[in-house]
Amino acid sequence: MMTMALLLILALFAAAIPISYLAERARTGLGALTLFIVATIGMFLLSTTIPEILNAANNNRYTETYYWVPEIDASFSLFVDGISFSISFIALILIALTSLYSIPYMKDRDDINPYYSLLALLSLGLLGIFITSNLLLFYFFWELILIPSYFIIGTWGGGDSYGVAFKFFIITHAGAVLVLLGIGSVFVITGSLDMFQVTAALATMQTGPIGWILIAFTIGFAVKLAVVPAHIWLPDAYSESPATMSALLGGVMTTAGAYGILRISLGVVLPALLSNPFGVQFLHTLALFGILSALFGSLVAVQENDVNRMLAYSSISHMGYVVFALSLFPNPLAIIATVLHLLNHGATKGLFFLTTGDIVKKAGTRDMNELSGVASCMPVTGTCSAISALSIGGVPPFACFISEFLIFMSAFQVAIIDSFYLIPTFLLLAANVLSLAYALRYVGNVLLGPPDTNQMNERSALVLGVVVALAVIVVILGIWPSIFTQLIALVNFQT
Amino acid sequence: MLPLAPWLVWIIPLASSLLIPVMNRISDKARDYFAVVSIFVTFLFAASIIPDVYFGPAVGTDLTAPWLPIIGVTAGIVVDPLSILFANLISFLGLIIIVYSLGYMKDEEGLSRYYFFLTFFLGSMIGLVMSDNFLQMFIFWEMVGLCSSALVSFWSKRVEVVRAGTKVFLMTRIGDVSFLAAIAVLYANLGSFSFSYTMAHIGDLPLSTITTVAFLILGGALVKSAQFPLHTWLYTAMEAPTSVSALLHGATMVKAGVYLLARVFILFGPLIPLIPMWLESIAWIGALTAFIGATLAFGTPDIKGVPAYSTVSQIGFMMAAFGTASSSAALGWFAGLFHLMSHAFFQSLGFLAIGAIIHMLGTRDMRKMGGIRKLMPVTFALCIVVLFARTGVPPFASFFSKGLIVKSLLITGDLLQLIIVYGAIALTFAYTLRFTILTFLRGQSDYVKNANLHEAPKIMLIACIILAILCTVWGFVANLFASFMHVGQVVQFSEIFSIPTVIFVFVLFLGGFPVYLYYYKMDGIESTFKTKFILPLSTVAGNGFYIDKFYDRFVGGGVAKISRGVRTAEYSFFERIPTYVSHGANRFTSRVHSGFDIAISKILYFTRDRWLSKDDRSPHDVDGSLPSYLVVFLVGVLILVVMILMTIWV
Repeated sequence: MMTMALLLILALFAAAIPISYLAERARTGLGALTLFIVATIGMFLLSTTIPEILNAANNNRYTETYYWVPEIDASFSLFVDGISFSISFIALILIALTSLYSIPYMKDRDDINPYYSLLALLSLGLLGIFITSNLLLFYFFWELILIPSYFIIGTWGGGDSYGVAFKFFIITHAGAVLVLLGIGSVFVITGSLDMFQVTAALATMQTGPIGWILIAFTIGFAVKLAVVPAHIWLPDAYSESPATMSALLGGVMTTAGAYGILRISLGVVLPALLSNPFGVQFLHTLALFGILSALFGSLVAVQENDVNRMLAYSSISHMGYVVFALSLFPNPLAIIATVLHLLNHGATKGLFFLTTGDIVKKAGTRDMNELSGVASCMPVTGTCSAISALSIGGVPPFACFISEFLIFMSAFQVAIIDSFYLIPTFLLLAANVLSLAYALRYVGNVLLGPPDTNQMNERSALVLGVVVALAVIVVILGIWPSIFTQLIALVNFQT
Repeated sequence: MLPLAPWLVWIIPLASSLLIPVMNRISDKARDYFAVVSIFVTFLFAASIIPDVYFGPAVGTDLTAPWLPIIGVTAGIVVDPLSILFANLISFLGLIIIVYSLGYMKDEEGLSRYYFFLTFFLGSMIGLVMSDNFLQMFIFWEMVGLCSSALVSFWSKRVEVVRAGTKVFLMTRIGDVSFLAAIAVLYANLGSFSFSYTMAHIGDLPLSTITTVAFLILGGALVKSAQFPLHTWLYTAMEAPTSVSALLHGATMVKAGVYLLARVFILFGPLIPLIPMWLESIAWIGALTAFIGATLAFGTPDIKGVPAYSTVSQIGFMMAAFGTASSSAALGWFAGLFHLMSHAFFQSLGFLAIGAIIHMLGTRDMRKMGGIRKLMPVTFALCIVVLFARTGVPPFASFFSKGLIVKSLLITGDLLQLIIVYGAIALTFAYTLRFTILTFLRGQSDYVKNANLHEAPKIMLIACIILAILCTVWGFVANLFASFMHVGQVVQFSEIFSIPTVIFVFVLFLGGFPVYLYYYKMDGIESTFKTKFILPLSTVAGNGFYIDKFYDRFVGGGVAKISRGVRTAEYSFFERIPTYVSHGANRFTSRVHSGFDIAISKILYFTRDRWLSKDDRSPHDVDGSLPSYLVVFLVGVLILVVMILMTIWV
């Protein structure tokens, strides 16, 4: 049993920032390898915490606490429970695979030496979000991911890349300000910044500005989650980023938004309000926004001709599913379904962006009307891309099916108690059909059909390896979700 | 029973499908024979369970393995007459069709994909019927949809084929969503997906919940089984290779809906007759579909359209039979399943027999055909078997199964349904006769003369002949079959010589004779009756009563319109929010700035006007430059004053 596993993971990524820069300068590809090794070690270190997570005596939680800023009760406290573990694990897998994928993908870009450092910084921030229990530290990591994202999108993105990066930065930062506001108010009210202490402290109050705090947190996170109408930064950011960045944005960063809502809005603040009509109204509103996003995203995606933008709207739609599932809180099945959908959607979207990235790069166009018959020239990439598309469309035995299924099961469970949820659930079923529609449109237009005259081929073994590995993960998650659901189910929200 | 047979019977095809791309690396032959052998082994395993079920109890036995403890789901299989019947049918027909494919698909490109999806399809379908809980069943249910869509779009380089595959999947998805909702409602109320738990506890639920579940399940089954008015996807699926069509119609996909309903009869048990309007709905939809499907089959000029719409119609017969059954012990339930078996044989044969014709002629339009009889005598003989078997001429199998359906309709006593079903029976003979005359009889058309038509390869004929034999003898095993299904109903063979048979034959004559007159006797003879009356009618029927066009225009078009509207909103409003906001902010700050300036200048001019006489004043200049200078000047003066004051004080 390691006692400093989590700190070590963060330290490794911090160390990777300069090391990967130097390594990449020494030899092309070495920086990526550094990051890959760090992420792999990270997975191993993370796995050492499993016994502690399984240990009920310790509240099914593994914790580490270090000295930081005691004046404002900010200790450098790290923890993992089933939810944090699962999300971080998938994040590490995506980080490891995207960094390997970057070697061939970024090959012909000049000046990519700082790229891996930025990727390491981004990974540090992303992991930090999921494994800290201190609100200030959470905010620190939350803002940290903006900086590398800005530079990666700006430097290596397409189109008006710095304009897109600026938009992304400003809008998500505006959301973050609300999160900071929430954290500040929580500290003023309870005098603590530790999530678990704050939860306990708030539970005894039940009055005053808690409702406002809840709203501030939720709107702040919803911006990152790209809930309609706060989604405006997302389509541009996804479509103009390099595919690797899109994979991390779509696979992990939106997950961070959902994690924020689940862990802080619902986990810390809402329990104080659950018996209150406001809490119920809040959840109902959340459900409506979820449905709005799910329908809106899928309806736009059905018509979208740009591959990357279609994926972007599909993300908006799927985050709508997640927000809807979050609104079923505190139904235990809904929590499991939400987290599982985050994992499944993350892995699937990662795979989707990586495969389309390769296709788009080789075809030189993102227009679905121009792309055709890709699968006949690139059978492996095409198959994996089809797997990701079908998973997004909710087709078994691929990952997203099972989590969507669980979302529907929990939705009906809640609906027979609270009939408000009936109509949203049926609307979500309609969105589910639309998801399949745009997924099949992608498969039919891009992968099948008469092959393009443009001679595309798949030569890079590295790309194929990464893509196949992710496809296998997507299938495994679909067939055997119990690997994670068992851990997620151990998390106990104090309601 | 071979060890673990109920598990291996679906795991073997699923696992071997994954090996097919590997086998493809070795050689084409290895891949083809591997597929055949794996399905053959599957069939052996399936067949090995038959004795256990035949001599064993009617009640299902469960074997389970842990899978998703979080929602209390264990992967399990159910062994009962129904599931084993289907498992055998699927693996047997799969074997026949995969052997047929050896000849039929010989020189196609992308066969690795073909055999992969074919074996995966069979595995999923067997998995569907063997599942002992709704979750597992639903997963296979969806996988069946996926595979059929993939196989329909096998010739994926043609745009319309791909579109057909997409349409098949999307349209059946609507039914799947209904089924999903049914499962969710059940789970929310019962807290379990398991069949055995459902059977034991369904009675505890209020009738309204059971009704909701029953109708949602019915929705799922009707779409999957291509029942009116959602039958149009089945015709679209005709873009598939003919072997795939045979499989789709014979044992998989459309039969999934029938299986689901048959299973519901077992699961809901004594509650079935209590559900308001449920049985009536099934019976009416079935009877109407049987009739409408038959008219569509009669109207279509497409050679594959005949068996396609025929399936729609024949499954309507099965539904009508189910609609008369009050439980899984009733005659209607058995009649439906018996007809399912005979339909499986004659319809697969119906497809496989014409496969070679389509392949060699390169067209599916029957109007261009004629007189193929002499060129392909064996195929002609096979199609005659199809004619008799599909129509139900005694002693072919469907004579008995249709007889049972009619009998069970007589028992429930809805006369109108009975008349509609008789009409469908008459039309069945009519459209099959029309198909036979148009393609095989008449004079040879120029089109046929120019094409190099010859008999199909031996391996394809062998597959067809096996099916033809089964079509002929299946009726005689009716009693064996009944005791296998643990149903007490027995067919009396002496009933062949009875009044219902006379009525039956008379009805057939009513359907067949005009067809004979019109298509055979009057062939090539132009008349006003033909141009004025028949042509417009056949255009309407040939277009499937425009039902599909209606869906395309109103449903598909409606969704497209909504999504286009939403997309416009996205691009003309949401996308521009940042621009609006930044422009607004710009304008606001510049307003504040200039407003400040104007205010200052107003003050300055005001004070200047106090000091200066009218003649010395220059016109008011409010562009901000003068006030700026003045402000700087004034600030400077102010600082000076302050400094002076400070020196004085200090």
